[in-house]
Amino acid sequence: MSEKVVEIQDLWHWYLRGTPLQTVALQGAELEIQSDDLAAIMGHTGSGKSSLIQHLNGILRPHRGTVRVFGNDLADPKLDVRPLRRMVGLVFQQPEMQLFDPTVGDDVAFGPRQLGGTPEEVRRRVRTAMERVGLSFEGFKDRYTFGLSGGEMRRVALAGVLALEPRLLVLDEPTAGLDPRGRRQLLESLRTIHAEGEMAVVIVSHDMDVVAELARRVWVLAGGRTVMRGSVREIFARVEELRELGLGIPQVSELAYELRRAGRDVRADVLTADELAEALWTNSTSPAA
Amino acid sequence: MDEFDFARSVTVGQYVPGTSVLHRLDPRAKLAAFVIVLAAIITSDSYIGNVVGLSAALGLVALAGIPVGYVLSGVRPIVPILVVFTVFNFLFLGNYDPTGSAVLWRQPVALGPYEFNFTVTESSMKQTVQGVVRIIALIVLTSTLTLTTTITGLAKGIETLLAPFRRVKVPGHEAAMVIAIAYRFVPTVADELERLMKAQASRGADFGRPGRLRFVKRARQMIPITVPLFVGAFRRAERLIMAMESRCYIGGKGRTPITLPALGRRDWTAIASAAVFTLAVWNVPWPL
Repeated sequence: MSEKVVEIQDLWHWYLRGTPLQTVALQGAELEIQSDDLAAIMGHTGSGKSSLIQHLNGILRPHRGTVRVFGNDLADPKLDVRPLRRMVGLVFQQPEMQLFDPTVGDDVAFGPRQLGGTPEEVRRRVRTAMERVGLSFEGFKDRYTFGLSGGEMRRVALAGVLALEPRLLVLDEPTAGLDPRGRRQLLESLRTIHAEGEMAVVIVSHDMDVVAELARRVWVLAGGRTVMRGSVREIFARVEELRELGLGIPQVSELAYELRRAGRDVRADVLTADELAEALWTNSTSPAA
Repeated sequence: MDEFDFARSVTVGQYVPGTSVLHRLDPRAKLAAFVIVLAAIITSDSYIGNVVGLSAALGLVALAGIPVGYVLSGVRPIVPILVVFTVFNFLFLGNYDPTGSAVLWRQPVALGPYEFNFTVTESSMKQTVQGVVRIIALIVLTSTLTLTTTITGLAKGIETLLAPFRRVKVPGHEAAMVIAIAYRFVPTVADELERLMKAQASRGADFGRPGRLRFVKRARQMIPITVPLFVGAFRRAERLIMAMESRCYIGGKGRTPITLPALGRRDWTAIASAAVFTLAVWNVPWPL
């Protein structure tokens, strides 16, 4: 059964509040996440995506509005956020920058050790987390962290968060700066993690192809507000609105859109190349057909 | 205050855009005027003179249109040092008073085998109080300078002021460049620190207080922060070198500015006012 694990309403946040450099980051953002969600948050640079997700584990506290995560009210200043940080795993942009331990296994074990489990429990968590991101435990646990490739380092960092075994996994621009293979592997890992059914997964991205490939539900932010929400098909069918916000659409949707404008009868909500081919085949009104 | 909002307490190296007189002064003139006022603050030998110096510094903040509270928040990080420094000065400085001024208070103390005196003399009292006022005034004054001056402006000012010493082989341009780079990276490193603390907190690190005296635990908590912070700083430094070299940077030799405006009337007025202020602080026979 799915239940609502995140509920954010009318969220406001200012950076450097009370100084001459104060800037507003969020002004009335909204977000809802179900316990089995696979969601994406999209938005232009500076739209408040990163600020929004930092509220999910209490890194930032709401300055106005409500943030409820797993039943905790983040606006309550007395709330101890540490248990929450175990339930919500937040992976920052370029997480490979946060690695610090010379050996991979020890770096992944940082979180579980902080939780204070037995050595066997720590080992089990590290093994599970590493294998979930496609790094073999035996092959990588003693490798030198800073000698890995960028894509491998990113997966180590992801494993470091997964080792906390959170119930909600949030990733900020998980594929930015990865080569196509690294990107494909990462998306594959995320899909597997979600399919195992223990975590809701939320990604923040402005790469529309990543969103189309992975997410089922989409939230669009602009200027610190939530401006669109819906299933991934609904959202990418609203081409003009997305363009207005300075966002693109997946390449396949773009092609479908242009074909439609050129007079071909193509469904508005195609996302993948196969769907487009099928749509062209069955609904074709081309005189040549 | 937000848990990870560090940029707030770093006022050094920040620039607050504005259109005040202080913002519009030529950086060379501004730097000269600030150095002159600085001289008054660090040499004045009277209570009132020091308070006047501090007031002048705060007056400049107001003139720049920057909230005084924001500038003073830059003092907050050094408060603990200031307190320790003041307590020790207050209790012990009088023991070493070379001026022979009147003893206000003396208390012999025996601590096991050690015996020593707490002594406060008129002159040590003055030095203690002045020390605090001067440090605060210095921080306020230097923050005002950097808050109203862009880094490039500041570098140009330093370079100009050091130019006369080139004859004795003072590398003015290089010094200015080093200072400018250092300043430029203070907010960047603070941002990076904030990001890393957030990231490590998100995977279970606890930066709560383990008790003030548990230094080892505190230091160990910092490893996940300091290691990536330095790795990042070195990486950034290397990139900066690459960027400078690919622009054929070879230091100050033979380098000429693209614009070299003459100092205007406003600039000379600022320098003159600073000089008048400093001479006044030095020459007025303050009663205290």
